[in-house]
Amino acid sequence: MKTYIITIAVSLLALAGCKKDYPVDEDGLLITTRAECYVSNFELLGTDFVTVRNGAAVIDTVAQTINVEVLYGTDLKNLYPQFTLVTDAKLDPKITGKVDFSDLDHPKIYTVVSGNRKVRKPYTVYITVQPR
Amino acid sequence: MLHTKIFRKSILPALAAGLFLAGCKKEEYALPVPKDVLQNDVIKRTLGPNIVGQQIEFAYAMAILPEKGKLVSAQVEASIAGANGTYLENNAYYTNGSGQDVGVPVAEPSVTSGNTTSVTYNVDTFAATLRYYYVIPEEARGKQVSFTFSAKSDDGETVSYKMGPYTIATMDMVRKLNVSNGAAAYISIADMKVYDEAGAAANPDKIDLVYVYYADPDVIFNHALVSPAADAQYLPGVDLPAGVNKSTKVQKVFNLQDYNLAQSQYGIYIDDLDFEKLDLSNAPDFAINLKAEAGVWAETSDGKYRAYIYFNSVNNGSKSAVISMKRYTMSGK
Repeated sequence: MKTYIITIAVSLLALAGCKKDYPVDEDGLLITTRAECYVSNFELLGTDFVTVRNGAAVIDTVAQTINVEVLYGTDLKNLYPQFTLVTDAKLDPKITGKVDFSDLDHPKIYTVVSGNRKVRKPYTVYITVQPR
Repeated sequence: MLHTKIFRKSILPALAAGLFLAGCKKEEYALPVPKDVLQNDVIKRTLGPNIVGQQIEFAYAMAILPEKGKLVSAQVEASIAGANGTYLENNAYYTNGSGQDVGVPVAEPSVTSGNTTSVTYNVDTFAATLRYYYVIPEEARGKQVSFTFSAKSDDGETVSYKMGPYTIATMDMVRKLNVSNGAAAYISIADMKVYDEAGAAANPDKIDLVYVYYADPDVIFNHALVSPAADAQYLPGVDLPAGVNKSTKVQKVFNLQDYNLAQSQYGIYIDDLDFEKLDLSNAPDFAINLKAEAGVWAETSDGKYRAYIYFNSVNNGSKSAVISMKRYTMSGK
């Protein structure tokens, strides 16, 4: 009797494991119910993987802007941006390596996509260099 | 249900009994019987890339049963003759209670003739480990070197052991160059030297970088490596000698304490391949705010040399630093 119960329990578990409850997006990431969509932290690293920020980045979630002042002498062509996003959100375009931020007149725009993939908020990254 | 019963009643006890018996089996210990021939073994003690001018160290062990005889001589033959300073140690070492290696002389100092370095034992010994230091010669650059270690005993036996081949790196290395702001500040990657202002004026085409220390009241500048062609704002207080105008690409690096350059506890080695794969096409021509144990990748304006310049130490008070450099000559340049 015990054997039967165990067999049934295992089969049920296996079936439950196969059941597809949540859809995934084109990146294979889970699409959830969360509609929150914002950047909570922003970091900028140099080629030596040390921060180049001069003070914390100012993130305006209403205006959807990120203002960051970088240290004097920063190599703007080779920077690694790091975004911290709200739970389940993702970034578009993806950051795959070094990013060239040297064109200060044309700031980079990154779009945050919410967990339910229905809300998209573009954030503009404004960089200023510490004056001397 | 029937299966379960069979499993419980017969297979399970059988398995348990088997396990019990296997666990109780007592294997008799027997003293290992040593081989009654002359034997040898080698280990390579140095790690990382093999750089011209540096040593490759081996430990060569040889032994024969005491009742069979004693050791007569040992020799190493390198496929490319070692540079001056290549030798086979005539001391055998043991490690004392404090963990230090203590040498006991067992042979005459080694004699090097052509590719072969040898020692002749002058004490009765049937087992010894001798260190071999091969100083990599210029002619081995970019080639492969292999070694044949051999030993002789007085009963006429010989034994040998082959090691390698080892690839000798193409790069060069120079350690601990002193640079100071306004004095020995002109760095030549081509010469792997540091020049003062007069030297830079005499060799303007060889100056690739300028060392600058500047304590700016508003921004962090401190220790910097700046290309002579960089914007003047990055060369504060520097009056470049005539003709010093090269544009060298530099990229800041942190946490890359190459073992050969830093000689500290980090087991990181920069090899030829790192230089070959380096892409500085987008790099700036200056690097400011460099700290001790930081460094820069650099590429000369003609693309002939790529280098890694490491800061061993910095001194804000004397506006100086100690740097070390690995340099790779690009093929076809």
